[in-house]
Amino acid sequence: MSTRERVLRGVSEVLGRPVASIDDDSSPDNIESWDSLKQMNLVLALEQEFGIRFTDERIVEMLSVRLIVAAVAQLGPQANSDSER
Amino acid sequence: MRLTYSQIQGELNSRDLAALPPLRIAVLRNVVVEPIEPYLRYFAYRMGCNARCEFSDYDNVFQEAVGGHKGILDAQTDCVAVFLKLETLSWDLARNFAGLTVGRIEEEADRIREFVSRVLVGIRQKTNAMILWNSFELPPHPSLGIFDYQQAHGQTATIDQLNRFLGDALSDHRNAYLLNLNACLARVGARSFYDLRYWHLGKAPYSREALEEIGGEMFKYIRPLKGKNRKCLVLDCDNVLWGGIIGEEGLAGIKLGKTYPGSAYHEFQQEILNLHRRGVVLALCSKNNEADVWEVFAQHPDMLLRKEHIATARINWDDKVTNLTRIAEDLNLGLESVVFVDDSQFEADQVRQCLPQVEVVQLPSSRAVEYRDILAAGGWFDAPTLSQEDRHRGTMYKAEEARKELQAQSRDLTSFYASLEMILEIRNVDEFTVSRVAQLTQKTNQFSLTTRRYSDAEIHALSESASADVIHCRLQDRFGESGLTGVCILRYERDRALIDSFLLSCRVLGRGIEDALLVQCMKRARSRGCTVAVGEYRPTAKNEQVKDFYPNHAFRRVAGNPELHYFELDLTSFDGLEPPYFHRIDTQFQYRAKVGSQ
Repeated sequence: MSTRERVLRGVSEVLGRPVASIDDDSSPDNIESWDSLKQMNLVLALEQEFGIRFTDERIVEMLSVRLIVAAVAQLGPQANSDSER
Repeated sequence: MRLTYSQIQGELNSRDLAALPPLRIAVLRNVVVEPIEPYLRYFAYRMGCNARCEFSDYDNVFQEAVGGHKGILDAQTDCVAVFLKLETLSWDLARNFAGLTVGRIEEEADRIREFVSRVLVGIRQKTNAMILWNSFELPPHPSLGIFDYQQAHGQTATIDQLNRFLGDALSDHRNAYLLNLNACLARVGARSFYDLRYWHLGKAPYSREALEEIGGEMFKYIRPLKGKNRKCLVLDCDNVLWGGIIGEEGLAGIKLGKTYPGSAYHEFQQEILNLHRRGVVLALCSKNNEADVWEVFAQHPDMLLRKEHIATARINWDDKVTNLTRIAEDLNLGLESVVFVDDSQFEADQVRQCLPQVEVVQLPSSRAVEYRDILAAGGWFDAPTLSQEDRHRGTMYKAEEARKELQAQSRDLTSFYASLEMILEIRNVDEFTVSRVAQLTQKTNQFSLTTRRYSDAEIHALSESASADVIHCRLQDRFGESGLTGVCILRYERDRALIDSFLLSCRVLGRGIEDALLVQCMKRARSRGCTVAVGEYRPTAKNEQVKDFYPNHAFRRVAGNPELHYFELDLTSFDGLEPPYFHRIDTQFQYRAKVGSQ
């Protein structure tokens, strides 16, 4: 599975919505249930899924599926989890 | 057993939780702790409950506890968890401590004491639910650095005192406990306990790992509240109690002692012994030649466990599923009371699959040094109170074995009963026995006519009611005390006595105690002015054996439905007699007015 597909699956699990209803442009702005708590759950779930750790500065920028995929890709899945500590 | 968030979600989603009895948890908090919910739901599911969590609005602890702002506290609440983080409650004490005068420190401490006292009273006015109040965290890095530890009015000392105040205030209430958050912090470690990113981004201080640990700690309290804490530890022997295989390596070859590598097993046995002293029943389940195992118990100089600590043993070559079932039967305990410890993946998997009620702990035999910690961290047997019955449970089971031997020698049942020299003591519940009575209503499934569960607080309230009697009995015989093992709750409505609950611990079944207790309770009802007693039978999956209890005791069947059967007894002509074989029946009821005369 590609990074993008794994992110989409993560978003779908955390929001409790079918994967098909989520695309690159999905964001807290156009999905009502995507509140700040869900955003936190999503970030922590992705960190666990990919074995990475985002900085707080990165987290505040992760505001759509597209940006989240980019953030994950930049750290590299399974990259050293200390990479941005 | 660290589970990822999505593993927990997957497990919860794959089960029909709605079929399980509900567990309502209300969370009062001044920080964001919502991510604890999946852990609470998961721990609840593991004990057979469907948890529903409700959170007060952010930093609305006072408004909720005193004002009922969202109305999440009520009679249906099972547990109130309080997360009051000092940073939000008092920035000065938490972070600005170096700038405070002694007077200002006292002023802030006073304000907090006043605040928590009012919150506590507010909660108690709304609900009798269990209160789990998280202690204030001690700072990993005090504002004054190591100088703080030299100060009588330092930050650490001040927070310590606040925690002691909290503990005292909570202990003034029933069913209210200070949850030791600092113990959780120590286990996880401060570097992993906090997620500083989300503390700043969203006032959510605790990491997932911390919340899992805190949730686990909460359930050490919640399990016994619902009678779901475990009572019996069943142990494999080879590579569990000692290193190596006794049948192959022999007494001198196995690893056990005060120095490495035997020290890991020595420490593990010490922990098991501690559990025994807390009332956990120990049993052995091992594929071995029985004589080999007992030789280790009797002859090995470094064995801490002795044969007298073991209530029952199944040492043979049968499969462990069969043996565990037999052990539970021997001890008259349900499999849901059992924790099974084995190092073998095969045995662990087989038991998990065939006996899902059993908590299975598979020890990592290549890392025996971790055994002790794994056992101590489990918390399966924990309870916030320890009754006399709990403490002596281990020895009680030994006495039970002696009784069985005597029974085998006796000619008939009556002469066996008489030879036991049983003394039955029947009393109203008092402050010392409230907890044990509540515990019995929570735990008893088989000999229980209605299986109504009551908390400490509810039993306490009933005991003070003018229109009820909460009656218990305790038994002793020539082999020892069986403790408080029977309960009858009578509720009076004019001249009718409703037998709300009638139950006996399975430990004392088959000795006619129910006959004696029922007769004494019926006499009590009559002396309080009742002319009719009403018995109820509520069928459950486990109480089939008592379905004819009332008809067998001269009660007449009256209208009812499949869920609730009613029986009546005319007390005016009641002339029931206690069984003749008791050595003594010692009944003393509190003086109470007749029901009709109020």
